[in-house]
Amino acid sequence: MSTPAPEHAVGRAEADGIAARARGLTKAYGSGETTVLALDSVDVDIARGRFTAVMGPSGSGKSTLMHCLAGLDSVSAGQVWLGDTEITGLKDRELTRLRRDRIGFMFQSFNLIPTLNAAENITLPMDIAGQKPDQKWLDQVIDTLGLRDRLKHRPAQLSGGQQQRVACARALASRPELIFADEPTGNLDSRAGLEVLGFLREAVDELGQTVVMVTHDPGAAAHSDLVLFLGDGRIVDEMERPSAEAVLERMKRFDTIRVTFDGGGGGSDGAPPAGTSGDVPLDDSPGAAFLDGDSGDVTLEKD
Amino acid sequence: MLKATLRSFLAHKGRLLLSALAVVLSVAFVAGSLIFSDTVTRTFDRLFASTSADVTVEPKNDLSSQIPTGATQTVPASLAERLAKVDGVAATHVDAAVENATVVDSEHESVGPTTGAPTIVTNWEVTERSPVKLTSGHEPRGDGEALLDADTAKKKHVRIDDTLTVQAQPGPFKVRIVGIATFTTTNPGAALIFLDTPTAQTRLLGSPAAATSISVDAAPGVGDAQLKQRIAAELGTKTYDLKTAEEQAKSAAAQLGGFLDVIKYVMLGFAGIAVLVGVFLIVNTFSMLIAQRTRELGLLRALGADRRQVRRSVLTEALLLGLVGSTLGLAAGIGLALGLIKLMTAFGMNLKSTEMVIGWATPVSAYVVGVGVTFVAAYLPARRAAGVSPMAALADAEVAGVGRPLRVRAVVGTVVGAFGAAALAGCAASSKTSTAASLLGLGVVLTLIATVIAGPLLVRPVIRVLGGAFPAVFGSVGRMSQRNALRNPRRTGATAAALMVGLALVGGMSVASASMTKSFDHQIDKTLGADFVIQNSNFVPFPQDLTDKVRGTQGAGLVVRQRFTPVAVRLPDGKRIETTAAAYDPRLDDVAHVTYAQGNTAAALGDGHIAMDVKFARKHHVRLGSVIPVEFPAKRKTELTVAALTDQDAAEGFGMQGGLYFGFDTIERYLPGGQDSALYVNAASGTGADQLRARLEKTLDPYPQAKVLDQADYKKLIHDQIAVLLYLVYALLGLAIVIAVLGVVNTLALSVVERTREIGLLRAIGLARRQLRRMIRLESVVIAVFGAVLGLALGIVWGVCIQQVLALQGMKSLAIPWTTIIAVVVGSAVVGIVAALLPALRASRMNVLAAIAHE
Repeated sequence: MSTPAPEHAVGRAEADGIAARARGLTKAYGSGETTVLALDSVDVDIARGRFTAVMGPSGSGKSTLMHCLAGLDSVSAGQVWLGDTEITGLKDRELTRLRRDRIGFMFQSFNLIPTLNAAENITLPMDIAGQKPDQKWLDQVIDTLGLRDRLKHRPAQLSGGQQQRVACARALASRPELIFADEPTGNLDSRAGLEVLGFLREAVDELGQTVVMVTHDPGAAAHSDLVLFLGDGRIVDEMERPSAEAVLERMKRFDTIRVTFDGGGGGSDGAPPAGTSGDVPLDDSPGAAFLDGDSGDVTLEKD
Repeated sequence: MLKATLRSFLAHKGRLLLSALAVVLSVAFVAGSLIFSDTVTRTFDRLFASTSADVTVEPKNDLSSQIPTGATQTVPASLAERLAKVDGVAATHVDAAVENATVVDSEHESVGPTTGAPTIVTNWEVTERSPVKLTSGHEPRGDGEALLDADTAKKKHVRIDDTLTVQAQPGPFKVRIVGIATFTTTNPGAALIFLDTPTAQTRLLGSPAAATSISVDAAPGVGDAQLKQRIAAELGTKTYDLKTAEEQAKSAAAQLGGFLDVIKYVMLGFAGIAVLVGVFLIVNTFSMLIAQRTRELGLLRALGADRRQVRRSVLTEALLLGLVGSTLGLAAGIGLALGLIKLMTAFGMNLKSTEMVIGWATPVSAYVVGVGVTFVAAYLPARRAAGVSPMAALADAEVAGVGRPLRVRAVVGTVVGAFGAAALAGCAASSKTSTAASLLGLGVVLTLIATVIAGPLLVRPVIRVLGGAFPAVFGSVGRMSQRNALRNPRRTGATAAALMVGLALVGGMSVASASMTKSFDHQIDKTLGADFVIQNSNFVPFPQDLTDKVRGTQGAGLVVRQRFTPVAVRLPDGKRIETTAAAYDPRLDDVAHVTYAQGNTAAALGDGHIAMDVKFARKHHVRLGSVIPVEFPAKRKTELTVAALTDQDAAEGFGMQGGLYFGFDTIERYLPGGQDSALYVNAASGTGADQLRARLEKTLDPYPQAKVLDQADYKKLIHDQIAVLLYLVYALLGLAIVIAVLGVVNTLALSVVERTREIGLLRAIGLARRQLRRMIRLESVVIAVFGAVLGLALGIVWGVCIQQVLALQGMKSLAIPWTTIIAVVVGSAVVGIVAALLPALRASRMNVLAAIAHE
């Protein structure tokens, strides 16, 4: 069952070391005949201080990979480390504590507790742990994300973009070793999506955080330092300093495979992204044809 | 549409489980009480019908008293011979049966039932109607021999040849048990001792020429009614009561019926509570299910289902729930009745469970209650469901309708509450018992309705306060639990209402009983001056012999006797009032503090004199010196002069209206053969109280029924009587709690399902399972305590008003049992914790990924 992945990123010596690591990570659903391998002996290293994007078509296992790396899901085989801590085999209580103290999370939607206001949501992981937040850092995060005048608002009183900014602030607030963002722009319009991506970029560049983002949007992936491509439970490719159209081209190859496989149009995920991809490519490529007309003129400074 | 309804019902069956349980509980209580009382009634109807003589001749019972007097009314035994000559009479029998005797064994232990059922000493007269037959030994022959019933013999370990002492009114005597008689019918729980007829007449009634009744057997072909007419022609109807077998059975059943009615009404009270609380549970469940299914219902509407169809769909679900609940409830009711019958057997009443009666009314009531309640409770949610717009299917609305404003509730609640408050204020201000009581009832109902309606409005302010310390104490877990409780005030209010209703009743009744206790204590402090009171624990009079022995006890100084009699007085305002009067020995002032508006004790107890309460006197235009015609039992009549008016603020309850009393000579003259109900004893000079007590207790050793009580004991005796009321309160409390727990569990379980994603998010960002459980527990506690606080507040208001009504009866002290109330609040927090157990477990077991995964 352990077919080695054709390409994988082993031991990147550069950057500040390894934030998370997986070896032979396998996740199977069901048993016997109906077993489905969501992850098939994946080896991966997440470099510290970098912005890593995980891409792949629907069902490629990208969310499962994130869940396993973040200690949200159990693994069927293999090992996962966060820093020097092996998290495979940890009990629920230890995993919970690990997530609380060392990992930050952003999800696509429903990121905030509706009964708590923005400030309470931001400090929630630390409140749960019974720790005092580092006020200076917190102020810096809040100001960076421009949430100063929104702190007393309940989630229902915030726009979708503001809600994701609060989620981003929460993920940053405890200065975790690793931030996992699962389709953080999936539910946002392009402008708000760009904003959030900009903040994640800033968190890596200015604040020295490590971010892993799962997305199926090439435009979003283009903000990262490194894109890992997942297909059928394996890491099939990676791309450094990606551009939206390069990512898109790479993704199209999945589609081709899919089309030949299914003889159909493929999954909706594999279809060219619309609406959420607002990034302006650095060079004028035909990829721009897929861009949303409304947001074509929005630019964001990169690096 | 029906198919969709059935699918939905089955899909939600887990969530409907607790509502079904509420229906089951209420139906079970209704069915159980009906089956039980039908069974008991049928059993006793049969017993009395089979044991009643064709015609019974009894002394005319024109005056009756709630307080036992100990006197036994008799007819001349010679009537038997006279009646035997009447045409159509086959045979006559002399009956000599008394219930005023105590029977003790050689160790001075009573062999009578401890359940309140009587000890009956009677003559052994074998007829085909006898409920017993001789099963061992021989029948009693002459003085000193007796039979005992088998159940009592077995229970009290009495064997043939054992000696028992019968403390009868004329005096105690010893009997040897020579045989055992066994019930051939249902044993109603009494102890039976049989003597031969002359012994019974002499020893029990004091004269061989006396009888308590004459049983007449009709000759073949003569009807009971016909025979009764002939006897009436012979004897007249003025002196004697004549009853046919049917009438006799009816009156006997009616006497027993009082006791059975109590059980029946208590059970129906429970059923009422269960129904009331069940309604809240069902309303809440359906509201929540509909809120959760808003999109689904919107889709149905968008697909073309009209409002009526949606409403009918929800009501059909309710109907199914009601049917299932009623059926299970009926079964549970049969079980409950079976349990009650077993319990009665343990109390000595031998009911045969095989003869359980399930009348047609039982299933009909069960289904009417079960289906009706569910249907009514689901009606509002169903209307709301029908109001869901087709747009709801498309909208990405948050589940659970939080939004709708509470304005209507505020207005209706305030108006109803204002009327209720006005009624209660009127009750407190009223000076007439009947007006006050009806205003009280109205006020209680209105304020209850108002609180239920306005409950959701009170959620915010009250829970802000109750949960105010949560964020500080429990951090963000506390903060979230407090806010979750505030999230949907309507839901929190309805959930807490279940507990509120029960605890309001408990609060009201506990204030009332505490006030009664305090009032009695106060009165005892104020009036009781004797060193000791000698009294039966159940206030039943004791034999003359006991009085003599107490008088003869060394160190006993003054002994003042108290005796009661039923009387009827004709008052100057033309009213005839039947009440109970007391009689005392002359030196009453030395053992009791009586305050007089006019006159004094010496005058009150003087020959031909009577005293009464000054307020009663004023009301009926009685003045000092008025001459009052007084009727005693057995048609004895006299006129007494009012010689003193008391100003006691005494309780008028317990059938003692008017507070009438007179000297001992009067009662001995007009109620011969009465027994003393209490003795007030003072120590002779030179004897210490403890010394006297020890001696009195030694004297009373052969009389297990009588107790020596000092002031503290006397208070305790009264407290114990009131405690019976409290036990009922606690039983109600228990039931209210059970159902309220169901309600809280129900709400929390549904809330947990609704908040799946939120819980998943919390778990993902690091909330430990333990913390999650604590969060749900705290929410549960705050809801439960909210219900308790609201209920108790309402209950205390009711209690204060009840006390105002009692004050008109002379119970002037108000006491609020704070310890009980605080205990109930603390208890409600425990209830909250218990209710949260399952929902919290369920939430903490929830799969984190399933909760956060999108789409």
